[in-house]
Amino acid sequence: MSFTYNSPYMDTGNEFTDFSLIQALRLDPIPDEAIKHLYRSHYNLTAAYIRQNSGSDQDAEDIFQEVILAFIEILKKDKFRGESSVSTFLYSVTRNIWLNELKKRDRSRQRDEIFEKSRNPLELDVSHLIADREMKTRLMLMVDALGETCKKILLAFYFQNLAMREILKTLEYENEQVVRNKKYKCLKQLEQTMAAQPGLVKSLKTLL
Amino acid sequence: MNEPTSNTELLIQYLDGELEGEELQSIKNNIEANPDLLDELENLRLAREAVNSYGLREKIRAIHPEMMRDLKEKTKPGGSVTKMIFQYGLRVAAVLIILFGISAMYQYFTGTPEKLFSAKFQSFELRELRGEPVNPIEDVYKAGKMGDVISAFNKINKPSQEDYFLAGNAFLNSRQPKNAIDALIKLQETNKSLNQHLFEEDTEYYLALAYLDNGQAAQALPILEKIHADPNHPYNRQVGSWFLLKLKRLIPH
Repeated sequence: MSFTYNSPYMDTGNEFTDFSLIQALRLDPIPDEAIKHLYRSHYNLTAAYIRQNSGSDQDAEDIFQEVILAFIEILKKDKFRGESSVSTFLYSVTRNIWLNELKKRDRSRQRDEIFEKSRNPLELDVSHLIADREMKTRLMLMVDALGETCKKILLAFYFQNLAMREILKTLEYENEQVVRNKKYKCLKQLEQTMAAQPGLVKSLKTLL
Repeated sequence: MNEPTSNTELLIQYLDGELEGEELQSIKNNIEANPDLLDELENLRLAREAVNSYGLREKIRAIHPEMMRDLKEKTKPGGSVTKMIFQYGLRVAAVLIILFGISAMYQYFTGTPEKLFSAKFQSFELRELRGEPVNPIEDVYKAGKMGDVISAFNKINKPSQEDYFLAGNAFLNSRQPKNAIDALIKLQETNKSLNQHLFEEDTEYYLALAYLDNGQAAQALPILEKIHADPNHPYNRQVGSWFLLKLKRLIPH
């Protein structure tokens, strides 16, 4: 679906309400404009939080991308129950990801100080919804290791929701069945790589 | 954990929602009965999640640089205002360039020798003559009475170079280019015969204009090219490249 400023998912002009934003971010494919809205409305707050808590500008940029990714995945799994505004929820996600990052960087004292100092009574516990950053990175490396053709086919089929005949046009394969077989092999290959790391799989399954 | 390939394929088809009827029921039954199959199915689901997660991360990464540029621009003091003014200025400049282009094209394609003459012709001002006025025709010329200049010129038996020059200009003022050409050529011939250079450069320029007014672009061109090529010529700045270009277009090849 293409997304324009006239989309019914936007209430007025080019601004989203929380409701219309959530609707848009649940779409497949996700409209770029919805992600851009997250940047326009929430980046500065996130960056300020990171900078105030021992982070650099680069940390702010990296963490915000993780926050968006986590937020959209939570929405796609219908795990955002609307118990808070998007802004409050994003704050909690940011805090969770950043505190875990500080822990990884072995800054426990800082982490504890920040945890107490910036604790918000309205804060939500989102830890059970968010995959650890390092775990995510390992997962992404596994996808990367599949090779270009496998990535292309799997992304086209699962992420872009393209039909086999559309995918065939972008590849040098004889027919759809060959592409289909390749897709099975690629997904199986990824599944086997993941299965070889039972600790990772176990942690990921808790997030499903 | 590893099932035959056919089972994996069925699991993926099941995951992708491609099974129906008996096949669908059969795989459901197998999954229920076989924990290894269920395990594999969950792993395949995780693999699919990983692919989606990878795609989403790439999408965010692709948008990120553009948004960072936008946000940094907005936080610059006066950044957005400066940008707005700059963009507005660019638009105005673009419109002016287009209008200028249209005007230039119009001039280029609709020009005639007479139009070129009108664009350049300005009466010669007598104060530029040096020395005391000793020629009665000068007073009449200064008074702007071009008809009287011509009458007086016609009565002179042996015109001087100055007579020819003033008469030539009077003819040009009266839009009698053919007579102006005759008078100015006579001046050049007299100069040549007397080995003098009176009014030489002024005559060149006004003769070229006379040719233009008479529709003789080809005769005007070499004179004007000479003036254009000589930076010390007093009329050099009057003859620009664009003017010559328009003139050349009028000359049939």
